[in-house]
Amino acid sequence: MIRITTNHLSLQEVMRELEDDSAGALSIFMGNVRNRGRFGNVSEIYYEAYSEMAEEKMREIENEAQTKWAIKKLVTIHRIGNLKVGETSIIIGVSSEHRHEAFEACKYIINNVKTRVPIWKKEITEESQKWTDGILLE
Amino acid sequence: MRSNVSDNNKIKVRLYAVLRELVGEREITITVPGGVTVSYLNNEILKKYPQLKSFSNKFVTSVNCRVTTGDTIITSSDEIALLPPVSGG
Repeated sequence: MIRITTNHLSLQEVMRELEDDSAGALSIFMGNVRNRGRFGNVSEIYYEAYSEMAEEKMREIENEAQTKWAIKKLVTIHRIGNLKVGETSIIIGVSSEHRHEAFEACKYIINNVKTRVPIWKKEITEESQKWTDGILLE
Repeated sequence: MRSNVSDNNKIKVRLYAVLRELVGEREITITVPGGVTVSYLNNEILKKYPQLKSFSNKFVTSVNCRVTTGDTIITSSDEIALLPPVSGG
C-alpha cells in the first residue's frame, strides 16, 4: 500500500494491512516531528508533495525492495500538510517470513524515500519559517 | 502544412516548495516555440521570473514524473514541474 495523505497516520491500519499468516516478522519505521530542528525549536513542520510523482517513486522503491528480499507485504504512507511536534509524518511497514528481510527492506525503503521522493519540508519555529536543505533528485 | 516547430506552445509548469513561494503561484504558463528543450524552457522561466535565478542550479525539471536532462524535447501535453532539493521523511 502506498499513500500520500493529509490525514493522521494510523499504526493500527498499517498493522492490519501487513497481516499475513505466513509472515513471522513485521518491521515498522515511524518518523515523527521532533522539537529541535536545523533552525531552532520547532513548533510545526509543513510538508508538501508532488503527490503523483511521489507515489510513483514510492512504488518504484517498493518494487526494488521486493526484488531484493522475500517480502510478504509492504506499506509506505507519508503525511503532508502542517504537523505538530510528536505527530507522525511517515510510516514504513514490511512483513516477511523472517526478521532479516523485514529489517533490511524497511531500512532500504526509508533511506530511499528520503532521497528520491519529491516531498519537501518547511521548519516552523517561533522566529522563522525555512525550507530544509535537501537532496537534488537525479 | 505548418510545421510544429513554428507553432507556439503554452507550457504549464508546476512549482513546488520554495520555488512556489518565490513566484507566488502553484502553476505558471510559459509560451515557447514548438519542439524546444527543457533547457530552453528553463531559460524562459528564469527570464520571466528573475527571482528564481539564484536557485537555477538548485532545481531539476521533471517531465511526466521523470527527472530529465536539459536536451529533452517538450510538448504542451507534457506534465512539467520544477523540483527543488527534496527533504521528505
